[in-house]
Amino acid sequence: KKMASKIRVVLRPVKSIVVRFCPFESNVESTRKFLGCINHKKIQATNRNCEVTADVRHDGSEPLVDVMFADGERLIMKGANLTTIEMLTALGSRCDAKELKEEQKSKKKSP
Amino acid sequence: APASKMAALSGGGAPWRRGWLPALQLVRCGSKAVTRHWKAMHFQRQKLMAVTEYLAPRPAVPPRCLAPRKETLEEDNGYVRLLRRQVEEVFRDNRMIAVCQYNSMPGEDVVLMRHYLRKHNIEVKFVLNEIVRPVLSQSKYKNLLPLFVARNILLVSREAKAKEMLRVLKGVPQINLLGACIDDTILSRQGVENFAKLPLLEAAQGQTVGALALLPSQTSSLLQRGSAHLTALLDQHIHRLQAGETGSPAEPAPAQSSGAH
Repeated sequence: KKMASKIRVVLRPVKSIVVRFCPFESNVESTRKFLGCINHKKIQATNRNCEVTADVRHDGSEPLVDVMFADGERLIMKGANLTTIEMLTALGSRCDAKELKEEQKSKKKSP
Repeated sequence: APASKMAALSGGGAPWRRGWLPALQLVRCGSKAVTRHWKAMHFQRQKLMAVTEYLAPRPAVPPRCLAPRKETLEEDNGYVRLLRRQVEEVFRDNRMIAVCQYNSMPGEDVVLMRHYLRKHNIEVKFVLNEIVRPVLSQSKYKNLLPLFVARNILLVSREAKAKEMLRVLKGVPQINLLGACIDDTILSRQGVENFAKLPLLEAAQGQTVGALALLPSQTSSLLQRGSAHLTALLDQHIHRLQAGETGSPAEPAPAQSSGAH
């Protein structure tokens, strides 16, 4: 089984991440761990411009992760029934896909 | 070939001469006894090894038929007890306890933040969830239990300086305030912000006292208003009459006015 802190995510195509949760609820564990992993220095080092904000509420809403990509795409993950590893791998796979697209674009532009 | 060798070494039979060494030493596979690779065992040795293999003794009753043994995890180390005692002390001694989520921060930032909070007499304590959870579940702070998941730190203080704490935490993006317990009252993040906006206790007390004292001070003047008004009217009347006396003699007027009242 993989450890959540070993998963490497390249945050270059990401503009901002907002993690919203209500700490007095009981389903926020995976979202909080996700926030902790994202703030690791290795992942933060891949993109210094990415702003990670934590929105702490007390209105019983469900935990939410809102990722804004640089090309305008938006990824919303509702963390109530997801594990940390699933969220990290989902984000990681999307980032990798975008990286590949960008590389192909830059290769096409500069032959 | 082995037969001829055996015949030569045995001495019995009819060799040509005693101590006859075979001229040709037929050796199969061309390797010595001690090799660097795994060498196949002689067939007789293989058979011996197969026969004498280890067979594990099986218990008469398979273990899943017996009742399961309850493994008591009573590993109460002295260290764990000490940490628990410290947490209990913290909860008893301090008026304000704030719980924050700690995402990994560079070391210098931690030291700087500790320094700024120390200036306002706020201490930073790193806690382990497995120690805090049993302590909390037995004390009266059961509602703080769901907060202690993932990495947390506690900011404890004897005074309730919420404004300064919020200001310092705003400068540190990696620490997120989750909730606080101020004077045995559990507050959420919004509650802490509202608490910080409140004026000082002495100012609030002064305002309350002033508002309360306003009404009684008005009561006495209200009660006296009727008689004061009457006195003022009489005075005015007397003045007018005295002014009228000097102007034209009107002796029965004061007797009339005093007789009427």
